[in-house]
Amino acid sequence: MRRALRLFLPLTVVAASLVTAIMAAPPSLGIRGPLSFGDATEMMQKTAVIAALLAVWMLAAVSLTLLSGREIRYSSVEMRASALHCFALGLVAVTSFALTAIVFSYLIPYHIGVPLLFALGVFAILTKIYGTVAVFHAVGTLAAGSRTREQLARRHWLRGDLAMVVVGVVILGAIRLIPIVGPIIWALASVFGIGTALATKFGRREPWFLAYRLNLS
Amino acid sequence: MTTNDPCQRYLEDPEANADHLQSCAKCRAEAAALAAKSEVEAPSIDLDALPLAPWEGSSHRPWPLVLGGTAMVVIVALVLLDAAGMSPMHVAEGSLASMDAIRGLLNRAALSLRGASIGMQLAFGAAFLIVNALLVVLLRRAPRGSDA
Repeated sequence: MRRALRLFLPLTVVAASLVTAIMAAPPSLGIRGPLSFGDATEMMQKTAVIAALLAVWMLAAVSLTLLSGREIRYSSVEMRASALHCFALGLVAVTSFALTAIVFSYLIPYHIGVPLLFALGVFAILTKIYGTVAVFHAVGTLAAGSRTREQLARRHWLRGDLAMVVVGVVILGAIRLIPIVGPIIWALASVFGIGTALATKFGRREPWFLAYRLNLS
Repeated sequence: MTTNDPCQRYLEDPEANADHLQSCAKCRAEAAALAAKSEVEAPSIDLDALPLAPWEGSSHRPWPLVLGGTAMVVIVALVLLDAAGMSPMHVAEGSLASMDAIRGLLNRAALSLRGASIGMQLAFGAAFLIVNALLVVLLRRAPRGSDA
């Protein structure tokens, strides 16, 4: 609980500072809060859309963790063990997806581009969904995971993969609602997630490529 | 090669010549000494002193927390959608519209690439190859995290 407070308190301070800065910013910057009824309506609609998407993420995260909790946990462990590699891999993978999608769009007049683009889109979406759920698990474990066996034994609710994923969705969802910073952090989390999903081959612990060795005997 | 010396026969095959121990005090003493040496006690391991493994307690499913958290997020979303005068269909349509925007962006990029000079197309091809080669190199690294 104390750890959770240690995380939430700075986040609350950052969020409050941001909101204050946005409200106090000069109008020329264009980042102020709602000035008219129309602005307020638009802001309300944006918040509602974000909350609805978070609900979809919550359902997807719970379903995926129920289906393959072990794989999600393994990816989460990998993300915490080698975060820099996962982030670098995620950045390169996102760039590769974008460049490959342009190449496949280039091939659309030759008919082969459409199925390739569809397959790439499906793969990218699955990678993002799986990776983001792994990020939820990692964030939940960092914020509310047990550190000792006594702590684990005392807990009735805050233990297990499902609980960690739910806590992660709530924390990242709350951050997502912060203006400006929220989308940036969410995008970084997506990059981490895509990198982790690819680094662990969706938690399956298998190499992507077979090693080629000459038979010298 | 076999030998007639009973002590030697015992040393070569102790199990088959176990009766020899009852008649030979010297061999009996050596066997007792060997047995005393081989009784090595396993070091005691304090399991609680070991760090908590990631899989410990991971299969626990706290349904009240999961259902409560999910219900809370869904209810908040529905209330906000209702307050904003929107329906979940609006959100789905908005998501599809963003997919359409990405598709339009890709089509424009492909058109620009098709209309670009040969040099630009070659540069794009080189960038494509370099990025994908880097991706393959990064994918070859074995995962570090363990969840044994």
